[in-house]
Amino acid sequence: MNKPLENRPQSSRPVIDAGGDDARREFLRNFLAGTATATVLMVFGPGVAALAQGGSDSAPAGASGKAAPKHQFAYVINVNNCIGCGNCVRACKRENQVPSAVFRTWVERYVVTGEGMYVESPNGALEGFSQVNAGIREKATKSFTVPKMCNHCENPPCVQVCPVGATFKTKEGFVLVDPEHCLGCAYCVQACPYGARFINPVTHKSDKCTWCYHRVKNGKLPACVTVCPNKARLFGDLNDPESEVTQIFKDEAWMVLKPGMHTDPTCFYVGMPREVV
Amino acid sequence: MAAPSPRSHLYRLLLILVVFGAGFLAVKQWATPDSWNYEHWYRGDAVVEAAAQPLVYGGNDSCKTCHKDVAKLWRKKPHRKVACETCHGPIVDHAKAGKKTAVAFIDKTRAQCLNCHLEGINRPRAFPQFSKQGEIGKLVPKHKELDAVTPCAKCHEAHDPRP
Ligand code: HEC
Ligand code: HEC
Ligand code: HEC
Ligand code: HEC
Repeated sequence: MNKPLENRPQSSRPVIDAGGDDARREFLRNFLAGTATATVLMVFGPGVAALAQGGSDSAPAGASGKAAPKHQFAYVINVNNCIGCGNCVRACKRENQVPSAVFRTWVERYVVTGEGMYVESPNGALEGFSQVNAGIREKATKSFTVPKMCNHCENPPCVQVCPVGATFKTKEGFVLVDPEHCLGCAYCVQACPYGARFINPVTHKSDKCTWCYHRVKNGKLPACVTVCPNKARLFGDLNDPESEVTQIFKDEAWMVLKPGMHTDPTCFYVGMPREVV
Repeated sequence: MAAPSPRSHLYRLLLILVVFGAGFLAVKQWATPDSWNYEHWYRGDAVVEAAAQPLVYGGNDSCKTCHKDVAKLWRKKPHRKVACETCHGPIVDHAKAGKKTAVAFIDKTRAQCLNCHLEGINRPRAFPQFSKQGEIGKLVPKHKELDAVTPCAKCHEAHDPRP
């Protein structure tokens, strides 16, 4: 099984071998880049070019230049371990003051029968799940619970559609919303193939899972990972060979949701049955 | 009066363009936050503000400093996978800055145990499940005789659950 670590920089799309065209392409690319840079420098002065180098998440001017980010965070959901207790949903609400009726993370229960599939998430599984209806239970061939949340895509459609640059991906992999710039237009809510975004009914701004940015920056795990009783949710740094997320890929096969959307999620699913959509 | 220059309409156009261009740059300068990140196209201060959100959950290590004995017992038992705050609620409700501020949440009802342990076809097979008939979970004779009100704590201790 391929490791996401090696896979991450590329997308899941097939790579076309450019062969002998490489040199010419590179020349053209450099030529265009040079022209563009010169134009930018003439119009805006040299400050902008320095800004374009990037640095830490918050520093606009690049102290560290184009160096690889120190952390490459990834989230792993091990469906084999999820017991559907709903503690993650409750902890997320509490940690992030998520209003009722909207969810940054939720858990879906799939019941597969010979006649079709039942998928439900009563109140986002805030209270866990009640027993499966006895009639359906008799026919069920299998059943499992799948936690869902923002996939923090490498290639996030929500960021592409935002008209004001209020949602963005940081170097370390967090897709975040800037509530000060957000207009609440909900383009991103529609663009997300995973339904992970919503308009917060209190602030009227776009809202979603942040991987508990404030916790991670303080050296803690996201709230949902903290309270998960059965290691169904893992979070860690792919640059750290000892982290749980790096370790699990050694002997487990992984999947992402909707690979056909070419969003390249950095939220990986382990042991995901093929019924999951 | 001298005749206007034959190119005055061009000069006027040029003047308008320069004024608009300067106006555009001025507005852009004013509207772009200082911390704007041109590589990833966002306001750099947004992440600083996001990181400043207060913590609610403290993690297991935050309990250990004051509850060494419980943590020590818990660490060796099956519930070591379950964080303290999963059962007791977040630390902000209980302690702040090294001081106990309020009584910690304790749920002694069956509901808390059954939220995780009640048998269900959606639970992983290997997970220990409470069953009265042994339909999915292991048939424990003591459970079979159990009525609907006896607390689990009669036989199981929360931090050391194996009877
Ligand atoms: C499975 C849920 C669960 C977990 C996990 C858990 N507790 Fe408890 N805890 C309980 C319950 C239930 C009680 C009440 C026990 C009783 O009085 O019967 C309790 C009681 C306590 C008490 C007060 C009673 C005593 O024994 O002194 C403390 C302190 C405590 N827990 C701390 C912790 C700490 C620290 C952790 C993490 C290391 C932890 N608990 C993990 C369920 C849990
Ligand atoms: C600043 C020290 C401190 C920290 C940190 C702390 N506690 Fe306590 N806790 C206390 C004190 C003091 C008591 C009351 C004395 C006792 O009963 O042992 C107490 C009592 C408890 C009780 C019994 C109910 C009560 O409030 O009297 C539980 C349960 C408990 N703590 C859980 C936790 C958990 C879970 C954490 C970690 C999230 C935690 N505590 C962190 C100091 C602390
Ligand atoms: C947040 C979910 C959660 C809650 C609440 C919870 N447990 Fe557990 N329990 C677990 C997990 C996870 C394990 C470890 C399973 C494993 O070893 O794979 C476990 C293990 C056990 C075991 C040991 C099974 C064995 O033989 O290995 C018993 C007994 C048990 N729990 C009883 C209880 C009781 C009684 C309560 C109520 C006080 C309770 N649990 C509350 C999650 C929970
Ligand atoms: C009358 C005593 C008694 C009560 C009350 C009781 N249990 Fe048990 N339980 C036991 C015994 C004894 C075992 C150990 C069986 C074994 O290991 O063979 C056990 C085992 C378990 C296991 C582990 C099953 C497994 O697959 O290994 C779980 C989970 C459990 N109990 C949950 C609960 C819950 C939840 C409650 C409350 C609703 C509860 N028990 C109430 C006596 C009791």
